[in-house]
Amino acid sequence: MSNKLTTALLASCALGLLSGAAMAQDFDYGKFDGYTLKVKLIGGTQYEKLYTRIPEWEALTGAKVEIVSSKNHFDLDREIKQDIASGSITWCVGSNHTSFAPQYGDLYVDLKELIPQSELDKYVPGTLASAMVDGRLVQLPRVTDVSNLYYRKSLYEDPARQAAYKEKFGTDLAPPQTFDELKQQVIFFADPPNLYGTAFAGKDEGMSGRFMEILRANGGDIFDENWKPIFNSQAGVDAVNWFKDIYDAKAVPAGTINYTWDDIGAAMAAGQLAVDLDWPGFAGFYSDPNASKIASELGFATAPKGTAGIRGGWSGSHSFSVTQQCDNKPAAASFAVFLTNDESEMMEAQAGNLPTRTATYPAVKEWFKANDKAFMVDMFTAWEASLAEARTPPLIAQWIEVSNVIWPNVQAAIVGQKPVQQALDDAVAEATVIMQDAGLLQ
Amino acid sequence: MSAMTIEKPWQRWLIRLGVFVSMTILVVPGAWVVLTAFRQNIEILAKPAVWIPQELTLKNFQGIFGLLDTQQGLPVAQYFVNSLVISVTSTVVAIAVGMMGGYAFARYRFKGKGALFLGFMLSRTVPGVALSLPLFILWARLGLIDTSWGMILVYMSINIPFTIWLTDGFFRQIPIDLSEAAQIDGCTRWQAFWKVEFPLARAGLASAAIFAFLTSWNEYALASQLTRTTASKTMPVGLMDFTAQFTVDWAGMSAMAVLIIIPALVLTFIVQKHLIAGLTFGGVKG
Amino acid sequence: MTRFFRSPQATPYLLLLPAIAVILAVVLVPLLVSLWTSFTGYNLTKPATLFQWVGLRNYQRVLASSDFWWAFGRTVLFITIALNLELLLGLGLALLVNKITWGQRTLRTIMMFPMMFSPILVGFQFKYLFNDAVGLVNNALFDLGLIREPIAWLVDPILANFAIIFAEVWMSTSVFAILLLAGLMALPKEPLEAARVDGCNPWQVFRHITLPFLMPFIYIAMTIRSLDVARAYDMVRIMTNGGPAGRTELLWTLMTRTGYQNSQMGMANAMGYVSIILSIAFTVFYYRKLTQARTFMGGAQ
Repeated sequence: MSNKLTTALLASCALGLLSGAAMAQDFDYGKFDGYTLKVKLIGGTQYEKLYTRIPEWEALTGAKVEIVSSKNHFDLDREIKQDIASGSITWCVGSNHTSFAPQYGDLYVDLKELIPQSELDKYVPGTLASAMVDGRLVQLPRVTDVSNLYYRKSLYEDPARQAAYKEKFGTDLAPPQTFDELKQQVIFFADPPNLYGTAFAGKDEGMSGRFMEILRANGGDIFDENWKPIFNSQAGVDAVNWFKDIYDAKAVPAGTINYTWDDIGAAMAAGQLAVDLDWPGFAGFYSDPNASKIASELGFATAPKGTAGIRGGWSGSHSFSVTQQCDNKPAAASFAVFLTNDESEMMEAQAGNLPTRTATYPAVKEWFKANDKAFMVDMFTAWEASLAEARTPPLIAQWIEVSNVIWPNVQAAIVGQKPVQQALDDAVAEATVIMQDAGLLQ
Repeated sequence: MSAMTIEKPWQRWLIRLGVFVSMTILVVPGAWVVLTAFRQNIEILAKPAVWIPQELTLKNFQGIFGLLDTQQGLPVAQYFVNSLVISVTSTVVAIAVGMMGGYAFARYRFKGKGALFLGFMLSRTVPGVALSLPLFILWARLGLIDTSWGMILVYMSINIPFTIWLTDGFFRQIPIDLSEAAQIDGCTRWQAFWKVEFPLARAGLASAAIFAFLTSWNEYALASQLTRTTASKTMPVGLMDFTAQFTVDWAGMSAMAVLIIIPALVLTFIVQKHLIAGLTFGGVKG
Repeated sequence: MTRFFRSPQATPYLLLLPAIAVILAVVLVPLLVSLWTSFTGYNLTKPATLFQWVGLRNYQRVLASSDFWWAFGRTVLFITIALNLELLLGLGLALLVNKITWGQRTLRTIMMFPMMFSPILVGFQFKYLFNDAVGLVNNALFDLGLIREPIAWLVDPILANFAIIFAEVWMSTSVFAILLLAGLMALPKEPLEAARVDGCNPWQVFRHITLPFLMPFIYIAMTIRSLDVARAYDMVRIMTNGGPAGRTELLWTLMTRTGYQNSQMGMANAMGYVSIILSIAFTVFYYRKLTQARTFMGGAQ
């Protein structure tokens, strides 16, 4: 990033966040002259912008930062596991994620012991709560992901479609309130091969996560309070059928079963989809006329509710953690706080990510208004509204493993290779073995 | 060669057509990646398809080198140097070590020969996942994680068995009498090797070297585990810098891919010359 | 001992010593560690489990798992089809290119073009090429008017496997082609000319002279490829990651998911050892063929 832009960004932060800047001083970042802090950070262009702030922290504290690793999410996860396996935890701060954190056991410290409560109070309470594992705050959230709806206004405001919809269903065509309504609209809009209703991530944790979201919105859950897998309930069957129905109706691209987020993003930006239930980061992509055909007609709506009248709110946060083996934990904590403080969060929010500090929401909306990006204000409003109901996947070490038995079975049900109930029963049986082996389930 | 081939004109055209068609199939999927590197985001992965680019752009490359305001550059220069150092060193050493081995197998009888040869081959049958973690633990103990030497050693182990088989085959084709004649003329076996057998086996060594180099240059699975920072991260690992949890910057990745492909292509083109030496060496045999 | 090392008998061992040392350090030692872990309940994130001996439990579970055997069978099929296709196409390509005299250096470079592509890149490349909504293949078929509905290349059980085999063949046919071309170039001319003088037709020349001469090269190429065919893992992981519904699950995707994502390293290594049997079978088969073929070629036996 050029200096000019940095200056502009900082200036706008200072303007929009006078109160925030004052509060940030509450936290004492400390002095660590001559100390070198070793960190492992998530890499990739989208995450690295924040790291341009590292020199500021170095100037503030006198410490040096050595980035000993910079990799994408999944490779970093594997690398940290290798470090645990080989007993080579020689670093202090690591990028983390709420879905991954429970796997790492006692690798990371409880940050409540290092950071004063007054500072922690500045984070969004729900987000902070989901950063806990077994009552320990093992990570400091940096940005949050929760899915809401992107829709194309040209389709919803098209008089012909409005009339047809009204005639067929007796209700007005408007962004959906429930998953049933979403299903109905998705099938209504579909006009393959030129337009599909939507697309979903059909494999990996993306599939398991979306299934869990609808399952929860239907009143079900993955486990009961004794960690017994119970997702083969009626709520689970309904959730799988939601996917299956739109798949069978050819309202989604047939390839969706093999899609991950990038494929969905590409399809939506190419104008192939009517609505997309997705994470906040795509707002910037979809609204960029150089990358997206739907830039001028992007609408935002809060995620639909399930049959139980609630939202599933599948969410997760990227975060920073401090290792137990760190030789200078105060410096590490100072670094983690600095990269999630008001200025840092503002930087993340301006890039279109959901910040983790309460004060950043009004501030960034002001900033977008002042910078001619009113639609981003709508985005933040929709996404902020869903935060209250945001829930992470089960915060246990076995979640990824359980997810890996859920998605192949859900896939099998969607493509008709197994009956829905049987697919879920199979997955529950496999998940039960995993939970028994882990000693969580008797 | 052409002097002795007796082809009718229609046969010649048929061959040319066959070459053209097969080359097209080989080139198109790759050329599409290269083209993507120069296109605007909105045109790639578009529907309806945009077949003829409205405008070619260097934006994707500028992005990699950090010349755009919208994103940070990648340390491509360091990736490139790492890749080059690791690939060239491991290739040169693997060829030297492998050639010694290949020569031993082609020219000597010794106890346990068959078993050793098979052992070398089997060393490559080990599935990566069974190898990667213990290797990582071992390398961590030796301080080889995230170092060029660590990667060089690993790539040597991949390329040595392979070079042994290849050079073994080529040495076998060189009549043993040639070297024996040289030895009778007063050369030592060592001199005979360098003066007679080595030049003749050059074609074989060239192809072994191309393979070894390309294998190391493009290897991802092990490099992604044993490298971590710009100290040793190679170009293919750098490709993954374009992926994030939710997005893949395919245009940027394609631009990076072009940076990986071009040096390999140039090198291959240059080394081709030595393959031509194989033509003459084939003639010697009769 | 010193006397042995100075004796002529020692020469081959000395020549092989560096190679053996590298293989020991990089392959054999780690392999022994893996073997140990396959008898433990080793969980990647719990170092203490490295010493939790479970005997044959991992092996029993692997052998009883239908997912494993499906992946096993699919991998055998994948390797067999891919390698044979690559051999045939590579041989054809080598023969064709060998006939062209003008611009052959450029032609050979073009022929090797796919070898410049890292397997991970090939994965992304074909994932997007075969994308059903915005991919190049479907776009082309649409615009040529050949299809009305998009083809879900990476979903259909047959097409998904076709797609990964296509990508694999695209990536690796060049390896065969260049090795066989090198062999063709080393082909002595006299027997060919003699055969022609004797009135053999091109097919007979190919069948009785060229092909036997090429056999060792074919076996070398086959051996090499059957060993590093596991490179395809990176590609398959990006394209389908074994899905959908396990339709393209290969041993490599299954093992890596078990070992790294699920952290069940002991289990993954047990799978690894069962699958090594597969590799050994392939390798020994080609090795014996190679040895047989070489008896025709002279050199020390």
